[in-house]
Amino acid sequence: MTPVLTESIDLFFNARSVAIYGASASQNSVGQAIVQNFIKPQYTGKVYGVNPKYTQVLGIPCYPSLQEIEGPIDLVVVAVPARITPRVFDDIAAKGSKAVIVISGGFSETGPRGAEIEDEVVAIAKKNNMRIIGPNCVGVVDTNSHIDTFFLPEYRCGRPRPSNVANISLVSQSGAFAAAISDWTAELGLGISKLISLGNKCDVDDDDLLCYLGDDSTTQVICYYTEGYDESKGRTFFDTAKTVTPNKPVLVVKSGRGTRAKAASMSHTGSLAGSDNVADAAYRQAGIIRPDNFEQMFDMAKALAMQPPAKGDRVLMVTNGGGLGVMTTDALEASGFNIPHPSPELENRFNERLPAYCAVGNPIDVVGDANSSRYNIVFEEAIASGEYDIFVVGMLLQTPSLDMDVTNVIANHQRSSGLPFVVVSMGGGFTTKAGEIMALMGVPTYATGEKAALAAKALAQYGEIKYGAKFNKTVASDK
Amino acid sequence: MKEAKKIFKTAREEGRTFVLEHEAKDIMKAYGIPIPAYATASTADEAVEKSKSIGFPVVLKILSKDILHKSDAGGVKINLKDENAVRKAFDEIMENAKKYGKEHGIEVDLSRGVFISDFADMGTEIIVGVTKDPQFGHALMAGLGGIFVEVLKDVSFRLIPFTEMDAKEMLSELKAYKILEGVRGEGPRDVDALIKVMLAVSKMIEENPEITELDCNPTFVYEKGKGAIVVDARILIDCPEKDSTH
Repeated sequence: MTPVLTESIDLFFNARSVAIYGASASQNSVGQAIVQNFIKPQYTGKVYGVNPKYTQVLGIPCYPSLQEIEGPIDLVVVAVPARITPRVFDDIAAKGSKAVIVISGGFSETGPRGAEIEDEVVAIAKKNNMRIIGPNCVGVVDTNSHIDTFFLPEYRCGRPRPSNVANISLVSQSGAFAAAISDWTAELGLGISKLISLGNKCDVDDDDLLCYLGDDSTTQVICYYTEGYDESKGRTFFDTAKTVTPNKPVLVVKSGRGTRAKAASMSHTGSLAGSDNVADAAYRQAGIIRPDNFEQMFDMAKALAMQPPAKGDRVLMVTNGGGLGVMTTDALEASGFNIPHPSPELENRFNERLPAYCAVGNPIDVVGDANSSRYNIVFEEAIASGEYDIFVVGMLLQTPSLDMDVTNVIANHQRSSGLPFVVVSMGGGFTTKAGEIMALMGVPTYATGEKAALAAKALAQYGEIKYGAKFNKTVASDK
Repeated sequence: MKEAKKIFKTAREEGRTFVLEHEAKDIMKAYGIPIPAYATASTADEAVEKSKSIGFPVVLKILSKDILHKSDAGGVKINLKDENAVRKAFDEIMENAKKYGKEHGIEVDLSRGVFISDFADMGTEIIVGVTKDPQFGHALMAGLGGIFVEVLKDVSFRLIPFTEMDAKEMLSELKAYKILEGVRGEGPRDVDALIKVMLAVSKMIEENPEITELDCNPTFVYEKGKGAIVVDARILIDCPEKDSTH
């Protein structure tokens, strides 16, 4: 975590001047799509094109080489055929730019010839202290600085937005996944700070970005999609992760769970190992959470970004619908939560203040005619009792009695108690809207009990990682 | 640890990427890992004498740089209860080794004779092992032996080095962990002794990264307070330069 490293990576996200090598006037070309991103008013830095064919592209000045541009260039985006990239890198080196994103393919992913060219540009970069993202990638999107090298037109691939609650950054080996996630998270309304596609990882790799994002104040949760690491790079990632995870949650979706990579082995252990077992152990040991897929990753990341981690595993399920309560509680139990019945004292207090026909227990059912004040009673008493570490709240808005003030009640109790809350709200258009409002108030809301349970589990899992032995674990693990 | 380095040097000089059983045991001993009493003998008389001082019953195994899979070569005789049994076993092992050599067209070096060890009392069978992953480096594996590992693949891993806490977690992740805690009238096993073995192996790997694979299989864990013992150990090392033995 040297400051030099952080600084060199920072240019990729906060460049004040950008040159697009291979800027193009032809429609639907990569070189044009990238220029289009940078001429949006949101990007406030300087933009130049480099292409001997043009003097301007979409109104930005275009030059035969970087040398003709006055003033420094912080970041160069390269979208030219692989075979001419060594020449381009000589030009970049002469200009003194330190950050390069190579979008083009045709490098080591295609075979030995491409690998040779890749080695050549890496050598030029090393000699001149330049950092490279890519090649064979879509580059980066930064929702704060509006640096955006994704060559995918916005009408086809939506761009995420930052949230003022909390933000997630995602690093993906695959460019196609990075693009799909950009599009998807734009729709989901998840707050995103940065998306980075790493491609061939010829220089900047998972580990560099973990160091950087670990210190990045606009990133609250770090997510990865990876297919594997270069030789011994898994170990450096592991070492860095150990220093990051006590401060920030790190989630990794890793494909290649199969066992095909089992090398011929002379020992029993070797034949049982399979690379994924070792990766799985490494993640656990480093405090990395490993969701099974993207959907799980974003459900978990959303909760981790918005809520504090749980300090223990005692959950209270509050609901205004019995079925939702039972289903969610089942899912919570399967996730390893303790779902303790309220103590006799707490039960008495509930009974004193709630109508007699409410089902006091865990789940606690305030029933179908509940209004927000019944939720308020439950939270007041349950929080004061200190018997619970996390709250999962079922909010069925189809009932006419439940006023929208319930969102305020939930958000206020969450804030004043500092305890994590997760809301489950099943339904259609009205419910979805209410869920969005709830999320804007800082409490993550899910469409099913299973998703809410998964989110709650992530908060407990991260609590265990962050607080270690201080995490109040009341059920014995039986994995 | 100098002991281990010396052994690896000898192995490499002989063009081996594995260490012989008594060498493996010497390394285990140097790291404070409990093992059954053992000795080596190059003649039948010597085998009898050493067996007596170890105490019957004993196990005899072929000790040769040319044989890695000893059972396949008829090179293992167990539960030998007296002098006669030891003498007979010694001769048979030598015969089998020669036969094995002929069948495989190799000259089997018999000069080292046999490895003799105490026939350990049966305990709960555990496998502790090490693998070197290309992406993550060395990792330790633990699991219950027998069907648990063969059929259910009930094993867990941690990267080396790891803490005592990690070792505990690792065991509690096993589906068969309840067996170590004691089930159906059996008392709890000596988990602390097992964890000591795991931590000692971790230290061994940290100090000798040339080890590429290691099996302590079986490791017997006895009732709480009665310890654990590594019955059989196999250590493989990398070859610094590509060498050319068969």
